[in-house]
Amino acid sequence: MKQQQVKLGIREYVCIAFLMIGMKGTEDTPSMLFSHVQNAAWMVPLLSGGLFFIPFFLLLKTLSLFQDKNVFEVIQQLLGKYIAFFVSFIIFIMNSYAISLDTRTYTNIIRAYYFTTTPRLVLYGILMVVCVYAAKKGIQRIGSISYILIFYVALSFFIAFWLSLDDSQFASIFPIWGPGKLELLKAAPSGLGLWGEFFILTSLYSFMTSFKDFRNGTWIAFGCVVIQLSLATMLFIALFDKGLVVIGYPFHVAIRYISLGEFLPNIETLFFPIWLSAAFIRFAAFLFINALIFGHLFKIKEYQYLIPSLATIYLLIGMIPETPNDVAQLKEPLRYIAGPTFAAISIILWLTAWFKGEFKHAKNKNNM
Amino acid sequence: MRKKNSLIKPLKILSKKLSTQPHFVEQSNQQEIEIKKQKISRNYKRNLETFKDLYSIPDNIDVKIREFTISSLNRRAFIIYLSTMTKLAYIQTGIIDDLVENKDPDRNIQDIVSHPLVRNVEVIEDILLGINAGSAALFVDGDNKCYLFDTVEIKSRGIEPPQNEVIVKGAKEAFTEKVIDNIALIRKKIKNENLIVEFKVISKRSRNDVFLVYEKDLVNSELLQTIKDKLESLDTDSISDLSILEQYIEERPRSFFPTLLYTERPDRAASFIEEGHITLLMDNSPSCLVLPATFWSIFHSPEDHYLRTPYGNFIRLLRVIALFVALFTSAFYIAVTNYHVGMIPPDLLMAIAGTRERVPFPSLIEVLMMELAFELIREAGLRVPSPIGPTIGIVGALILGQAAVQANIISPIIIIVVALSGLSSFIIIDVSFNFAIRMTRFLLILSAGFLGIYGITAVLIIGLFYLSSLKSFGIPYFAPMTPYFLSSKDLLIRHVPMKDRFRPGYLKPKDMVRRRKG
Repeated sequence: MKQQQVKLGIREYVCIAFLMIGMKGTEDTPSMLFSHVQNAAWMVPLLSGGLFFIPFFLLLKTLSLFQDKNVFEVIQQLLGKYIAFFVSFIIFIMNSYAISLDTRTYTNIIRAYYFTTTPRLVLYGILMVVCVYAAKKGIQRIGSISYILIFYVALSFFIAFWLSLDDSQFASIFPIWGPGKLELLKAAPSGLGLWGEFFILTSLYSFMTSFKDFRNGTWIAFGCVVIQLSLATMLFIALFDKGLVVIGYPFHVAIRYISLGEFLPNIETLFFPIWLSAAFIRFAAFLFINALIFGHLFKIKEYQYLIPSLATIYLLIGMIPETPNDVAQLKEPLRYIAGPTFAAISIILWLTAWFKGEFKHAKNKNNM
Repeated sequence: MRKKNSLIKPLKILSKKLSTQPHFVEQSNQQEIEIKKQKISRNYKRNLETFKDLYSIPDNIDVKIREFTISSLNRRAFIIYLSTMTKLAYIQTGIIDDLVENKDPDRNIQDIVSHPLVRNVEVIEDILLGINAGSAALFVDGDNKCYLFDTVEIKSRGIEPPQNEVIVKGAKEAFTEKVIDNIALIRKKIKNENLIVEFKVISKRSRNDVFLVYEKDLVNSELLQTIKDKLESLDTDSISDLSILEQYIEERPRSFFPTLLYTERPDRAASFIEEGHITLLMDNSPSCLVLPATFWSIFHSPEDHYLRTPYGNFIRLLRVIALFVALFTSAFYIAVTNYHVGMIPPDLLMAIAGTRERVPFPSLIEVLMMELAFELIREAGLRVPSPIGPTIGIVGALILGQAAVQANIISPIIIIVVALSGLSSFIIIDVSFNFAIRMTRFLLILSAGFLGIYGITAVLIIGLFYLSSLKSFGIPYFAPMTPYFLSSKDLLIRHVPMKDRFRPGYLKPKDMVRRRKG
């Protein structure tokens, strides 16, 4: 039998998307949201998700016209060579910035909660080495492993949240509008940054079996993640209430807080490996996509070989900030810029396609 | 991939240049090869000379030549055979007696001899092949062909119960060293004319042959061709056993994990053939190879299907737990006691600390020592002559366990940990997979010693990625779970047999559906 390239199926794609974006609920995102709109933070994922839905829907609509191309090839076709390069380059830079700081955030979490005495570079280095190995195996393998792990990840999150219910006060979500409706509406656009990864994920289209799978998979993952993020934030608010302001990584505090009956008071070590595996998958996928974009930008066909060098650069960038606080501060601008940028690019793409008459063109083609 | 090759290629050439093959003097047998390529002559004397020469008679004691005259035809004849591989009675009564006692001068040889004739052969090489395989060759003066008779009878042990894949419920016969019996064992289970037994010679000097067994109307022809090509491409003097052939045809012979299924149970082989797999059999090997194999086929046991559905699933879940216990118990113990002490309930922590009080070694060394001791006992238990086998168990358990604890070399909890993980590893039925688990365990122990749970998880994820990149004749290791293929979903949990509706989709069988709905 020929060693045919196994395509990425819808299950694997949904799992990658879920692990990549759903993991945000387990890092500093919930407390970041809380710092803006207090106890209405759980609404931000819903609102910004609703807001992001529009440009994202338009983007998928545009992509559906070019069913054999991934998002960067579409950008190139619609915006011309030079502008397309510029746009793609901005996306690449934003991604690189995000991945550097995110990996650093995860290293910080590991160091703060589990390995307080281990040098940061060792923890960070191992994280990167594993991700490079995983990313080099290709997106199909990443998908396969996500599919194998997703059950355990979901189960462990569920158990963690379920155990935390004992000490939760759901009254703390009131007043329901938090600081006020207007504040909440203002916070929604800044929450767009949460969904930036979905834009990047569209570059995986060329690995998928069909456009239908891709579209359905994206919407399924989008729905799941919006609900998951919102629910996670709500549970953290119920568990910590005002305390969430000072808690950097609520998930990890939560799994330290909960206990399994009288006998096992500290069960965070049971959740840690599963969370860590999900983190490995997340960054492996992230690395792979970044290499893909880089390969597209500079016309490098064998982009897998870029992964180790890119990872090294990200590691070096990630090592720059001195403290976790610096990381949070550096992340702040990205949070405001990334979401609107992706939304803007999506709308611009759609408009260009509209003006160029690609939609009519496609319609005519279908009619013929 | 191309780029990788372009990088490695110059290196390979360089290393080839540096490591030249050692020089040795070889004796040419060109002359003999030439003789073998010729056809036999009509001349009786010359044929006799040629074969006496080729078989080094009279040095070669079990090659027998019997010369006689067929009086009715008035022609000289001789018959040549290997006395150790043939049944003498066949030759005497079925061939020679018939020829000597015949009175009718008009009948030809085929009609006179009652013993079944295999074929008429002309080329010397082919005749030699026949004789070496146990046939008797009859040469008659004036004929330009030789008659080969199937007179082979090789002694072998009878069909016995399986030694390694023991089950409680289900067939209790195993393959033997005699391939004819093995094929019969499979044929007995699949009574269908589409069951094909193909034959291929794979080595040049010993001329070992492999039998491909498959169902013609199921197997994917592309897959079959790949396997045939692979067998064709082997260029070696001798492959004496199936387990050596396994290493020749595997994609990654250095990998920890097996990608072919090696089984000694004909019922298992038959059930794989019925799914569209291909099995390889060889003479002298009491087993068969099933290809391609996935993680699941290696992990499952035939008993999962023989037992009723709930019981079958129960033992399968037990096996999953055993797999995890065998892999992670020791590593987890080290990680928890060294890095995540907070996790242990205080009472238990006190107990563990109390027993470790007088032990001078770090727990990593303790575990490694005990694991090594366990592996030693295990290996020794396999190799000792059977009368003293039980003694080894007692010595192992008593001396190494009890005494080591009393001597304060290891703490008692280590014994529990190692015994648990060692015992669990026995539940993994496949020999190769068993080794893989045992070796990976050491890797995990070391990584746990290095970085606790973080190290274990890192190795686990790398391992999972490695496993998912393994392929067995183009089929991913975790198929049909991921990448997804249509199948009857017999992975961790199996359904009732009535719901087993599809053959595994990754094989792309010609007939996908086992059982139509309704």
